[in-house]
Amino acid sequence: MNWFGFILAQCLNALSQASILFFIACGLTLIFGIMRIVNFAHGVIFMLGAYVGYTANVVTGSFLVSLVVAPVVVGLVGMAFERTLLRHLYGRRDGGAYLLLTFGLAVVLSELIRLIWGVQPLGAGIPDFLRGVVIILDQPFPLYRLFLIGLGVAAAIAIWQFLERARPGLLIRAVSQNSEMVHALGTDVDMVRTAVFGFGCALAALGGVLAAPLVTAFLGMGTSVVIDAFVIVIIGGMGSFLGSIIGSVLVAFVQVMGAYYFQDLALALMYLLMLLVLIIRPGGLLGKED
Amino acid sequence: MPLLECRGLVRRFGALVAVDDIDLAVEPGEIRAVIGPNGAGKSTVFNLITSVLKPSAGQVIFAGEDITGMPVHEVAQKGIARTFQLCHIFPALTVRENVRIAAQARDGRRWQFLGGGRVLNRSTSAADEAIARMRLTRMADATAAMLSHGDQRLLEIAMAIAQKPRLLMLDEPTQGLSIEETGRAVQILKDMLTEGDLSVLLVEHDMEVVFKLADNITVLHRGRVIADGSPAAVRASAQVRSAYLGGAQ
Amino acid sequence: MNWRLGFLVTAAACAVLPFAVPQHSLTILVEALILGLFAMSLDLLVGYCRLYSFGHAAAYGLGAYSYALILTYVPLPLPAAILLAVAVTIVIAIPIAWICTRSTGVSFAMLTLAFAQLGYAMLFRFRDVTGGSDGLVGIPRHPGPFGIDWFQSKLGYYYLVLACLFGSYLLCRAIVRSPFGAVLAGIRENEAKTIALGYNTRAYKITTVVLAYGFGGLAGALYAAFAGFASPELFFWLTSGRVLIMVIVGGAGTLIGPILGGVSFVFLEHQLSQVTDLWPLIFGTIFMAFVMFAPQGIWGILTSRFRSRRAVSGSDSAKEAPGAAT
Repeated sequence: MNWFGFILAQCLNALSQASILFFIACGLTLIFGIMRIVNFAHGVIFMLGAYVGYTANVVTGSFLVSLVVAPVVVGLVGMAFERTLLRHLYGRRDGGAYLLLTFGLAVVLSELIRLIWGVQPLGAGIPDFLRGVVIILDQPFPLYRLFLIGLGVAAAIAIWQFLERARPGLLIRAVSQNSEMVHALGTDVDMVRTAVFGFGCALAALGGVLAAPLVTAFLGMGTSVVIDAFVIVIIGGMGSFLGSIIGSVLVAFVQVMGAYYFQDLALALMYLLMLLVLIIRPGGLLGKED
Repeated sequence: MPLLECRGLVRRFGALVAVDDIDLAVEPGEIRAVIGPNGAGKSTVFNLITSVLKPSAGQVIFAGEDITGMPVHEVAQKGIARTFQLCHIFPALTVRENVRIAAQARDGRRWQFLGGGRVLNRSTSAADEAIARMRLTRMADATAAMLSHGDQRLLEIAMAIAQKPRLLMLDEPTQGLSIEETGRAVQILKDMLTEGDLSVLLVEHDMEVVFKLADNITVLHRGRVIADGSPAAVRASAQVRSAYLGGAQ
Repeated sequence: MNWRLGFLVTAAACAVLPFAVPQHSLTILVEALILGLFAMSLDLLVGYCRLYSFGHAAAYGLGAYSYALILTYVPLPLPAAILLAVAVTIVIAIPIAWICTRSTGVSFAMLTLAFAQLGYAMLFRFRDVTGGSDGLVGIPRHPGPFGIDWFQSKLGYYYLVLACLFGSYLLCRAIVRSPFGAVLAGIRENEAKTIALGYNTRAYKITTVVLAYGFGGLAGALYAAFAGFASPELFFWLTSGRVLIMVIVGGAGTLIGPILGGVSFVFLEHQLSQVTDLWPLIFGTIFMAFVMFAPQGIWGILTSRFRSRRAVSGSDSAKEAPGAAT
């Protein structure tokens, strides 16, 4: 029956959304895990990824190239920021300084984007080879969204395996648990932090490149995203990689169902969810406490 | 009737039972010390009494009232003041300001947000009194962060007594103090405690301090009470000796 | 004493200022004073409680839209409309404060931002009432009561705003020097200890958020009455960002610093925006520099220099107010 196909389409819709959210939230949670700070600029980093991706796409004519270029470029920007500015704050007693500094970065990057790319939304649309629909149970489903789901799942598995098996991954987990010990054992913890910060930014940028064909690159796309990412990280637990996956899926479902059934309140629903979670568990559901 | 009574206190952290069925009582005017090897659960008991941790089982009765699991600030309002193992003060404020905030805590008009000169004066004089008791007067205007570790501990105690508590709970007050500082602190405490009817619950590692100050001692080992009595009795107890000197944890 | 003298001199200077500057500068002066008030309201949270709000635009927007909406239904005289707008803002702020103070740090910041975003979204959702992206225009200033209308002229309105700013400053100063204010200092320095001493810190934080919203709402209402319109931009996150920058760069925890921060921001913005498009970028960069190297802000630096000189000369520093410099 068509009804079943419709539900499936909605689920796939939600999963494709979850994919993009996952890239952002995963980056945010990894950064938190390693540095105990919430990168407030993460939403703007996502936006920067979308814009850089657009330019890369236009310049090289290839979407796939932009998928690589944007994360690399933005990752480097992130690393530069961490190395030159954020690092200075590590001794501070006042945790508020990180908040303010990453906030300042958000403002500065936001303005830079406006100056470089202008105020008009930019979008090259969905690349040709990913256009079209796939028929699933009599329902047409965009190919691009399937691509997003596939990429998201692949990335999740890859990162999971990396954290579990690969030596650098183990190092990252060790540093998030006890950085002093790791430092005492001879590892350059600073370098790990820089690398993870860069990686987290790269992931968010990737999310931006992937999102741009759907929503276009526009100013302000970062603000709601950073709140979404924060809600996800809160639900899944600050610093928990698994939590970022679960949280992304949950939030995506809420957003998609909400947009369909409570159209007008869709936005409010997100905030209500966040409120609910923060009311019940001010520290998150899984993972490390703040 | 005891001022403070702990009945069957239990606290679990997952599979670890940090506090295992502890009964403890402090009579009005009594100075009781809680001692025990590391990991015996002493600070956990303190946290259970002051509600920083909620007990897995058991009750805390203060002045006949069940205060188990009451919000932390309400416990303080009942008349319990405590110091912490890791010295907790307001580092950027002056010594006087530190103690003044403590003195104000049980003032009925601490809420006042306009004027309030009288409240401020009341608490300032109470603060100065407590500062004098702790012999910190000459540094009353110094920033708390500038004080030596020993003086910071005395500051914390000054804050506790400025609250005019009925029960004073000191968590390792002489930890990290030099011999000279410890001697000074003990002398100050001794002078202060002999004049009032303050009840004191004291966690200590330094046995000399314990024997100088305490009326009675409770000994903890692995979360359980293994001895309870006068200093002489405890000193003579074979169980205590084996817990401290005998086999590994 | 020193402070009273400074206050009177500043008040006198501000009173005669309109006659010393060209007529067209009056508009900027009024805007500057309003933003100074807005910034000072945030200082209560940021400077005195170390609660970083990323959504203080909500207070401003609530005040502005409340004023505008009240007047579309009831032609109240200006003072009454402003007071009512502030009252509405305070009432709405109470549940917001209750929810936001459940968390601290980043969670608090995110919650405040979320509420501002929610407000922003609500404006578009109920666009029949709020005018959507166009906002509300043509908001009047009614005379009264008793036919008083000196505030209808620009000069008159300047004095109204000046009175509100100075009055609010005196109120805030009294608050931070009161027993209540002393507890805020405790919360700022070591909240766990403050709770252990017996204070219900949550209640204090809620009250401070509500107060901050109240003064912020006053600024918003004054703005709406002056500019004659209210737009969704007032709720936008960059508005929250600007006021946060004013507070930090001006000097958090001093009340005066943020006022000066707000005032200078408006002047600089006016001057620089004529010259270059880069000024928000410049401000953002200056902000980051202050966060890293001079977190006590401009006024903080100036007053600490002054205070250390005083201490050296041996004057009585025992009368320090509880909390930061005022």
